[in-house]
Amino acid sequence: MPDMPPAVEARSVSKAFPGVIANAGVDLSVARGEVHAILGENGAGKSTLASILAGLYRPDEGEVRVNGEPANFGSPRDALARGVGMVYQHFRLVERFSVAENVLLGDPRQPILLSTRRAEKTVTELGERYGLPVDPRARIGDLSVGEQQRVEIVKMLYRGADVLILDEPTAVLTPQESENLFETVNAMTAEGKSVIFISHKLSEVLAVSHHVTVMRDAHVVARAETASSNRRSLARAMVGRDVDLSVQRAGEAPGEPLLELEALNAAGEGDTVPLRDVSLTVRAGEVVGVAGVSGNGQRSLAEVAAGMRTPSSGRVVVRGVETTGKGPRAARRAGLAYVPEDRLGTGLAPSLSISENLLLTHPRPFFLKRKEMDSTAREAIEQFEIRAPGPDAATRGLSGGNAQKALLARELSDGPEVIIVASPTRGLDVGATQAVREILDKRRRAGCAILLISEDLDEVRSLSDRILVLYEGRIVHETSGEDANVEDLGLAMAGSETGGN
Amino acid sequence: MNDAVWVLTLAAAVSAGTPLVFAAVGEILAERSGVLNLGVEGMMLLGAVTAFLAANASGSVIVGLVAGTLAGGGLALVHAFLSVTMRANQIVSGLALVIFGTGLATFLGSPIEGDPLKPGVTNFRIPGLADIPAIGKILFDQDPLVYVSWVVVALAAFYLTRTRTGLALRACGESPETADAMGLSVARLRYVHVVIGGLLAGAGGAYQILARVPSWSGAGTTAGIGWIALALVVFAAWRPWRALLGAYLFGAALAANFALQAAGVNVIPAEFLSMLPYLLTILVLVVLSASSARRRLGAPAALGVPYAREER
Amino acid sequence: MRIHLERRLEARRGHRALVTVLSVVAALLLGAVFLVLTGRSPIAVYTEMFRAAFLSFFGITDSLAVAIPLILTGLAAAVAFRMQLYNIGAEGQLYVGAIFASWAALALTPGMPNPVAIIIVFVFGALGGGLWILAPAIARAWLGTSEIITTLLLNFVALYLMRYLIYGSASFWRDPTSTNFPQGKPIPEEAFLPVITSTRVHLGLAVALLAAVLLWVLFSRTRFGYDVRVVGDSPGAARYAGISVPRTVIIIMLISGALAGLAGAGEVAGIAHTLDPNGLAVNFGYTGIIVAALARSNPFGVVAVAILLGGLQNAGTALQSIPGGGGVPVEVSYMLQGAILLCALAGELFIRYRLRVRRGLPDELVEDDNRSAVAEGTKP
Repeated sequence: MPDMPPAVEARSVSKAFPGVIANAGVDLSVARGEVHAILGENGAGKSTLASILAGLYRPDEGEVRVNGEPANFGSPRDALARGVGMVYQHFRLVERFSVAENVLLGDPRQPILLSTRRAEKTVTELGERYGLPVDPRARIGDLSVGEQQRVEIVKMLYRGADVLILDEPTAVLTPQESENLFETVNAMTAEGKSVIFISHKLSEVLAVSHHVTVMRDAHVVARAETASSNRRSLARAMVGRDVDLSVQRAGEAPGEPLLELEALNAAGEGDTVPLRDVSLTVRAGEVVGVAGVSGNGQRSLAEVAAGMRTPSSGRVVVRGVETTGKGPRAARRAGLAYVPEDRLGTGLAPSLSISENLLLTHPRPFFLKRKEMDSTAREAIEQFEIRAPGPDAATRGLSGGNAQKALLARELSDGPEVIIVASPTRGLDVGATQAVREILDKRRRAGCAILLISEDLDEVRSLSDRILVLYEGRIVHETSGEDANVEDLGLAMAGSETGGN
Repeated sequence: MNDAVWVLTLAAAVSAGTPLVFAAVGEILAERSGVLNLGVEGMMLLGAVTAFLAANASGSVIVGLVAGTLAGGGLALVHAFLSVTMRANQIVSGLALVIFGTGLATFLGSPIEGDPLKPGVTNFRIPGLADIPAIGKILFDQDPLVYVSWVVVALAAFYLTRTRTGLALRACGESPETADAMGLSVARLRYVHVVIGGLLAGAGGAYQILARVPSWSGAGTTAGIGWIALALVVFAAWRPWRALLGAYLFGAALAANFALQAAGVNVIPAEFLSMLPYLLTILVLVVLSASSARRRLGAPAALGVPYAREER
Repeated sequence: MRIHLERRLEARRGHRALVTVLSVVAALLLGAVFLVLTGRSPIAVYTEMFRAAFLSFFGITDSLAVAIPLILTGLAAAVAFRMQLYNIGAEGQLYVGAIFASWAALALTPGMPNPVAIIIVFVFGALGGGLWILAPAIARAWLGTSEIITTLLLNFVALYLMRYLIYGSASFWRDPTSTNFPQGKPIPEEAFLPVITSTRVHLGLAVALLAAVLLWVLFSRTRFGYDVRVVGDSPGAARYAGISVPRTVIIIMLISGALAGLAGAGEVAGIAHTLDPNGLAVNFGYTGIIVAALARSNPFGVVAVAILLGGLQNAGTALQSIPGGGGVPVEVSYMLQGAILLCALAGELFIRYRLRVRRGLPDELVEDDNRSAVAEGTKP
């Protein structure tokens, strides 16, 4: 089909938000039947481009074409009507609805009286055809993240999408689930559908795509056929310089145990997963990494260890002092610091200022000393190179990297010997990632015990002296950092024990 | 014609519950779309005074009903504008609506206070059914608007659960970002259902004055039933049929008061009987907040939260 | 060409005051429409209202007297708003505060020195208000039950309770000599609040102003105020920092209820000198929410707005009895109050957004946070 117009096309698309240019003259052309990857770092403008293609945003300038025809989408409905559907990073599903109801939602072709039974049948059929098994009657709230993603894809197929945009689809999947997703993608392209695959992971892009477009700072910086492209040059295009995220491990043997978790069991609270018989020790000068797919008890583990939650059994010992269930303040007094994954909303109070936030986990006098707070904040801003208008700026206005620096500034300020960090570089650009990792490495060299809980396997592998895998609240795998093998870790993350270690 | 006192009381309960049925079903539709409208009392009062003025001016109950209904809808439009377009705080906006609506209604009604309603509503015995002992008198010897309220409940329940738009509206109340991503207009759905809610509240107010109380007596005309309707929505776990049952239960508490007072029986002080619906609802609310019940019966997840498409 | 809304990065102080003033003007215009429609001259009515409220000594003092309970209920609502809590129950807390205060006055204070009696009356008022919010506070703190509906519904329970005590039973509060027209028993003079000579402005004004100052200090200068702001801003951060969310919620709601209870005590000991259900049930609680919303939860703003609305209410009452009022019912002042708030909510647009007319494609409204008019007042 030599003269077929591209399935979807963006022509010099620009989009600005107050204070940010998200897309600047972006061109993209996706052929029928291909997987087209958009590669780029967080904040490069990938998601904005995708949202424009999916009709969620209108471009300030430029145009979108579908099958060669101009497409001026006013809403996602228009895009879907032209066969362009998107699976968002945060799923758009109604938790209280069944799978079939979610699939039917907003479909203009449905008669005014709904027939859920017919939808259920179609959902099952589509699932079989594309390798996406889902129970059409299940409530979304009862499904795992991987299953929910399948529902999202089935929903788009049901609506007749010929172009499917997947925004960072593997972030919530195990390596094996990702493989299944790739098979589904191949089944779709085999039928002539196109898939736009957004990712910041080079290996995935190389594995799944036919063409790749690389974005950086709102611009397209490279375009290539995947088969003939060079891994190194793609990486350089993506980050704008040579990448050096080299492995960092402790030189010396670790010292005495500083954080001991003994046989912890804890009920899941809210939407968190319960902990089952978790024991681990972190020694002075050591980083212990906890890997796992998100939603396998990471938050419960961090919160129990940090004293925010009381376990039903087991002990937490910080530097020889038992802090089990005595609250976060007791844990801190014993010398523990905790950098939570959720920076704005847990680690920092978003509408409070930087200077106020620096006080959050420290003892406070009855009458606040504003002047002292102000000077402390100025010092921290300087020392940690936080880019902010000033100490009175609300933390909600900080970029991810600067918020993380402010958080670290506070947590590390009173010289803790035990540090728990959860996904410390999630959403940060390469510069900030390196800065954060250096800060952590420096602390390790200074003799701190660091428990690193992260869903980013690469991060865990590059920093940890020992790696544990958490699956459904249980530690199912343990290995030293050097011997770590991606396949074994992946299998363990998916719950099939291989008896590594 | 010698019906037992309890039959007459229950028949009165149905009639007393009917304004609640209209208003509560309307509020259910608004809240299911994600908009909390605390202004029911204001909309009912404005509906009542408008219905009275229109009915007396035209000599027609139907004109009165239509006018009252529209007045409620008009006031709801203000709330829709503030809460959907301006994304104002829905609680404050709803309360402002009560105060404004009550003030406006009493202001408009002050010249006619105490005047009698010229046209009246007569009962319509449903042939056959009305002859069933007790039940016939209680349910099938009522004014036509009672039967209309049943139709409204049935339609609302069917609409919510079985139709495409009903699904869309529930999605707006549960997860507006999903509705938006699926190509639905959250703003339009919310506007429409807030206004429908207002229309029904206006109808409830109109019913109150056309069929229940003989004349306009200021804020005392509705005597706080708008607030009871709000309670009823929670009591009914946002489901129309349960709202109908709850309305009759609450209606019974209202009617029993009159019956007991008339009979000179002083078993329970009237004030305590009046408290009952409120206390019951608080109890239900507390039980509903238990996490197991909340998932199935709790409030729409996005209730009271303005929606703006997230950017960046 | 179309009108385009652009989010302001920062709200300006001057804008807020301007918007409040403009919404008052807009509300008066709206009210004028209805006055004209019902055959009255808006200019005459408004002139009369203004004169009645603010242009004579007794007009001013009467307006201040009405403002006293409004300051307290306004503070009650504002305190809760600070933590994103909605105490819609100030109305009921005020009634129960009045019930407690009048009981204390009747049962405890006879024979006591006036200052001691006054303290007792206020303490009991605060206790009553606090007690009335206790159940919603506990349910909210530990079960997560929405306080909006529970506090609201308890208003009616309190109203019926108060009516029962005076009209429905021969209770301790009822004057046994009043059989045909039941009334509350007069409280002893020992418990009367001192007034500014021959006016209705009583000691409650000092209590209300003191409360405003104390709250300001509490919120902006103390550890507890800091904790409250953290909890209000993000319960996750509070839990992380070891600040007990349930405890803070309960304390704040108790303070809120107690403030409304103080208003009830002030009405009993300063104005009615008895438990008078009709005199108390004049929407002080609901109006307090409007006061707090207009004042954006700022304690001193509450004082200013309460005086404004107090004047409006006082003018409405005065209109009825003044010949020049032309038979305008008191409710016109409620209508105007509601209209002011509705206009202020609409005016929010101009605080949060910049209006721009430009050519080009329509754009989505840009807004990233769902924080509302009231919540914005939480920033110090």
